[in-house]
Amino acid sequence: MKNRKALFGFKDLKVEVEGKEVVKGVSLEIAPGEIHAIMGPNGSGKSSLSNALMGHPGYEITSGEAYLSGENLLDMEADERSRAGLFLAFQYPLAIPGVTVANFLRAALKSHRGPDADMTDFRRLLKAEMKSLSIDESFATRYLNDGFSGGEKKRVEILQMSVLNPQVALLDETDSGLDIDALKTVADGINRYHSENNGILLVTHYQRLLNYVKPDYVHVMIGGRLVKSGGPELALKLEESGYDWVAEEVGQKAGV
Amino acid sequence: MSENKPDIHIPEVIPELERGPLWLRELRRTSREAYNSTPIPARGLHLWRYTDPVKFVVDRSGAADTPYGDNYDDVEKVELNNLSEGHLSGLVSDFGGREIRFHGFEKLLADGIVVTTISEALEKYHSIVEEHLYQLVGSRSGKFEAMNGALWNDGIFIYIPDGKSVDKPIHLLREAGLAGSAQFPRTLVVVGRNAGLTLVDEYGGGTTEESAPGSYSNGAVEIFGQADSRTRYIMLQRQTQSTTSYLTHRARIDRGASMFTFALSFGGDTSKQNFGVILNGPGAESKMYGLLFGADYQHFDNHTLHHHAAGQTRSDIDFKVVLRDKALSAYTGLIKIDRQAKACEAYQENRNLLLNKGTRAETIPELEILNEDVMCSHGATIGPIDPMMVFYLQSRGVEYQQAMRMIVSGFVSDTLQQVPGDLQERITGFVNQRLEHL
Repeated sequence: MKNRKALFGFKDLKVEVEGKEVVKGVSLEIAPGEIHAIMGPNGSGKSSLSNALMGHPGYEITSGEAYLSGENLLDMEADERSRAGLFLAFQYPLAIPGVTVANFLRAALKSHRGPDADMTDFRRLLKAEMKSLSIDESFATRYLNDGFSGGEKKRVEILQMSVLNPQVALLDETDSGLDIDALKTVADGINRYHSENNGILLVTHYQRLLNYVKPDYVHVMIGGRLVKSGGPELALKLEESGYDWVAEEVGQKAGV
Repeated sequence: MSENKPDIHIPEVIPELERGPLWLRELRRTSREAYNSTPIPARGLHLWRYTDPVKFVVDRSGAADTPYGDNYDDVEKVELNNLSEGHLSGLVSDFGGREIRFHGFEKLLADGIVVTTISEALEKYHSIVEEHLYQLVGSRSGKFEAMNGALWNDGIFIYIPDGKSVDKPIHLLREAGLAGSAQFPRTLVVVGRNAGLTLVDEYGGGTTEESAPGSYSNGAVEIFGQADSRTRYIMLQRQTQSTTSYLTHRARIDRGASMFTFALSFGGDTSKQNFGVILNGPGAESKMYGLLFGADYQHFDNHTLHHHAAGQTRSDIDFKVVLRDKALSAYTGLIKIDRQAKACEAYQENRNLLLNKGTRAETIPELEILNEDVMCSHGATIGPIDPMMVFYLQSRGVEYQQAMRMIVSGFVSDTLQQVPGDLQERITGFVNQRLEHL
């Protein structure tokens, strides 16, 4: 839309939850190879933005546009967005009783590759990715997220990303609930996935993950708006000084 | 229309009442009297709130000699094939007790295991039959149980002597008849001390004609598990959707015996089924799995009973229901623990998944616990598929329909995994059929 050749972006996006506007017109573009981070206090609308982009039925996009590789995302159902190359690692992944991690991922990958695709490599692929993320092999036959710890769920989200290899990954608070070892493992997984051809949007409250996954751009979201953008140094400043100074700078009070 | 149907009495002189030795003829007559003198249960009465009892009143003159249902051949072919491939210990085809065929039992019979008709057992194993028949499902069990007790033709008798074990299933195919027919299948099973049995009891057939009168089936199953026996009983309901079906199952297990009961329901128009296990000696253990998948206008009314008549017994029920279209399920689960039955454990769970609006599920847990020294819990849920689960699967590229199917398959997968052997694949097939065109 603008100057760079954007892989993914959204423009003047507004999102409502139960009739309340929580994202009040935001725009962003991500070029291939870029990592962006959206940081903001709780309740600033970060998670609403990522959920709405993925097509969560509880979030209504009331205006604006969003696109991926030139395709209009907003015309698509969630499954179509996924097959178009969008991925969201959820902050609170749901348990799906009775559906094993392996069967789930096989169905997902098959939907991406098409009904007649060769899946003979699936087991090897899954095993390799699980090993890289230090996920015990036994998880393949466990029910998805059923009885998983917070850290295990986050790792399995990254596993899904690695197997599906999307063009753009939105990572919603993927660092929360992780101890330092798990954080490193997850960050390694994200860095392994990242290439010159894909884009990442990290959504996070804290700067912690950004020590391991280096963003090219950092944006601050407050009160449903992206109010400030900068380089990686902005994240460090937010870590030191919190969000209040940004809010004051833009003449707004930070969300609670 | 059916509401105006009169309470039809069983006449005094009919051939069924003349079958068997004197004691049996007396029991048949007692059953006839019980049926005739018991009024049709009032709709407000316990266990009849959701199902019209008039549906189970039939004129026995309709019980014409039309034992072969519309789709019988296909079903028997599948099981004969299973038999020839070595998946079954034997196959019994039962046409309303008017004709009962036995396939492939030579080996079992040579081993001393008895699989025969009740009429033949009355000659060869008279005392075993007399000791057990009507003990668990008889004239006092209820109006429609008494009806079976009077009108059954011939039934199936299975006796596993002490220490013997039949691990591959014996498969019973009960064939509902053509439109207007009424069948009264009866089953008596005695599993001896430290003996084992896996029994599949499949109720199939029935008319495919959509208009009244439809087919009718009223079955009674009695199972005795002697000390330290191990029995798996798998009821499979797959009659046509023009079949009205009533079934009462009772099992009694002694000290150290185990009983697994599966109630797997897919077929029938109106099906009222009652499964009960009496835990009669310390160490006895019963586990029941229900799996019911209703579609169209199907109506299911299920009861389960776990009666702890002895202390140190354990029971567990996991009854799962999935409904689509306009289907209805009512489930009533009673846990009864006698005063002297101390140190028992009893668990019961009924989960209902409603795939669309217009379906209806009712769940009524009942507890009659007469002593304090027990561990007991029960739980029930009724609800639609969580749209957040669907979204999660969709967000990974899985289409809506497939996401729904995966979630339902997941909901029933624990139960399916418990279904023994080759039947598991077949039941999974029934589930998948029901998940088409969601």
